[in-house]
Amino acid sequence: MMKWIKLAVRNILRNKRRSFVTLLAIGVGYAAISLFYGYMHNVYTGMRYMAIEGEGLGHLRVNKAGWQEKGKLQPEKYMFSKEDTQKIIKLVTEEKDVVLATPQIQVTGIVTNGIASTVFIAQSVVPKDDKIIKGGWASFAPITGQTLSEEKPYGAEVAKDLARYLSFTPGKDGVVMAPTLSGQMNAMDIQVAGVYDSGSDFSNDKFMRFNYYFAQSLLDTQSAERIVVLLKDWQKTQLMRTVLLKKLKAAGIDCEIRTWEELSLSFSKNKAWIDTMFMFLFSIVLVIVVMTTVNTMGMAILERTREIGTLRALGLKRRGVSLLFALEGAFLGFFGSILGIILHTCVWAIIRIYPPQYTPPGVSMSVSLTVDMVPPMLFILLLSLVLLSLFAAIIPARRAARQNIVDSLGHV
Amino acid sequence: MALIEMKNITKDYHLGETVVHALRGIDLQIDKKEFVAIWGPSGSGKTTLLNLISALDEPTTGELAIAGKDVRSLTDNQKSEHRNETIGFIFQGFNLVPVLSALENVMLPLQIKGASATEAKKQALSRLKEVGIGDLSHNRPAKMSGGQQQRVSIARALVNNPSLVIADEPTANLDSETAHMIIDLMRELNEKDHITFIFSTHDQRLLDRVKRLVRLEDGKIVNGGAKQ
Repeated sequence: MMKWIKLAVRNILRNKRRSFVTLLAIGVGYAAISLFYGYMHNVYTGMRYMAIEGEGLGHLRVNKAGWQEKGKLQPEKYMFSKEDTQKIIKLVTEEKDVVLATPQIQVTGIVTNGIASTVFIAQSVVPKDDKIIKGGWASFAPITGQTLSEEKPYGAEVAKDLARYLSFTPGKDGVVMAPTLSGQMNAMDIQVAGVYDSGSDFSNDKFMRFNYYFAQSLLDTQSAERIVVLLKDWQKTQLMRTVLLKKLKAAGIDCEIRTWEELSLSFSKNKAWIDTMFMFLFSIVLVIVVMTTVNTMGMAILERTREIGTLRALGLKRRGVSLLFALEGAFLGFFGSILGIILHTCVWAIIRIYPPQYTPPGVSMSVSLTVDMVPPMLFILLLSLVLLSLFAAIIPARRAARQNIVDSLGHV
Repeated sequence: MALIEMKNITKDYHLGETVVHALRGIDLQIDKKEFVAIWGPSGSGKTTLLNLISALDEPTTGELAIAGKDVRSLTDNQKSEHRNETIGFIFQGFNLVPVLSALENVMLPLQIKGASATEAKKQALSRLKEVGIGDLSHNRPAKMSGGQQQRVSIARALVNNPSLVIADEPTANLDSETAHMIIDLMRELNEKDHITFIFSTHDQRLLDRVKRLVRLEDGKIVNGGAKQ
């Protein structure tokens, strides 16, 4: 085998200019895919953090069965009682992969500064649990003023556009109004603890965050709308959904569990869009690699027709000729991919040193364009392009192997 | 038993709607250890006849046996093995692989056969020394003269210890002095190692030194007698 490998490599070096152009095409194609994948990987990681920590979705959300369809119309019926809430939290936190389980309520209503008023949507959270869910996100998008705390039950965090509209700054007072679960209008005073950036243009003008117990008072209930579960590892999301659903149902709790991916406003749509772009780019590169390799091997076969005839005359079988050219194709793919890895690393390093800033659509803050180095992907891509080049070479290689020996020997 | 036995062999080529009768009823026997020249004017069918003897091509009709094997009954893979084990080739244009050294070119038939690199190297080097260019073993063809390249080609033809060597116009691309050296070398190998040589030529220098001449005209043998 070594002799054929040696021969294949030397044949690649035979026409240096043509081989270089082929390797460059494969290398640039490789780098385009790997850089885009690295960018995509970084965006997905960012979007995942934004959903789990930034939006405070946690990894799993437990609701009473039917909440999704009928919860808005009959909230009391589809909320967890105080006893159920405690029972669920106890059962869920028994699992070793769970960091915490915390109750939450969403409130919608009107907020006013005494002069102007507007609608709001508020997530009501247990402050100490929320700090854990926020994790590193708190330092990425720091709040202006104070965060929610148990010491200030009437404190509220206000999204930046809503705060600007109502001239809310930390320490200012306001009033929120919302219907209780029995349908009576209720109003309670709040004090703005802090102003934050929700990360999305669509929510910055209406989002607020309350203390969980404040929201219970506003809605005049002891119930919880949902239990948010934070896991140690996001990759166990699906597994834990199954485990917890089974466990809670066995304990007599009729519930439904959704993942952060299902709940996130933007993740699934953006992921589908980026995945489509990736497939489009990958298809273009795939066509370029196949066409370039077929063309290069076709030229090589044409130039070496007499040599093929000679090898066949000396006793090389048809599959030997196919193998020789397939090896050349595979080596073009391999060396092209190595060139691609070098290009990828250079661009990756430049972006690390001088990261360009941009604002993604629908996002309220500018972010750095970052490309992740994903070694498994680099290896899989290398393997893919080697196999692709090999198969692209097999088409002309099989043609070469089937050539009539006498015609090949007489080829000029 | 004759090494080559041809009975009423014909070979036709189809060029569009035209049929070219390259060989018209060839009967020929060649024994082991012979040193035979196939000669005749251009287009007489010399190369076609050599192609059939070397199992590179198949006759249209007739019987052809090489070393007792009916060539027409062999599969493509069997023909490849037959060529590799039984026949050595010397081409007019040398047909060396340009990216391989002289030694690697000579090793090729052995490696195609499946010999180990060490064994192939040992035998190839021995053959290169035998044809007088052992010191050029690491040179690539581009760095060698025509005569040197043809010696490499001869070493490659002999490295598998074939019973038959087929040479198509082996001296056509060589100057007079080199042609003489190559002819002498082939004669020496024929006499010393008892290898059968069959070659096509219209080189008078070669014709004067063969044991047997087979003259072809218009696809027929017109004279198959021996010449000393």
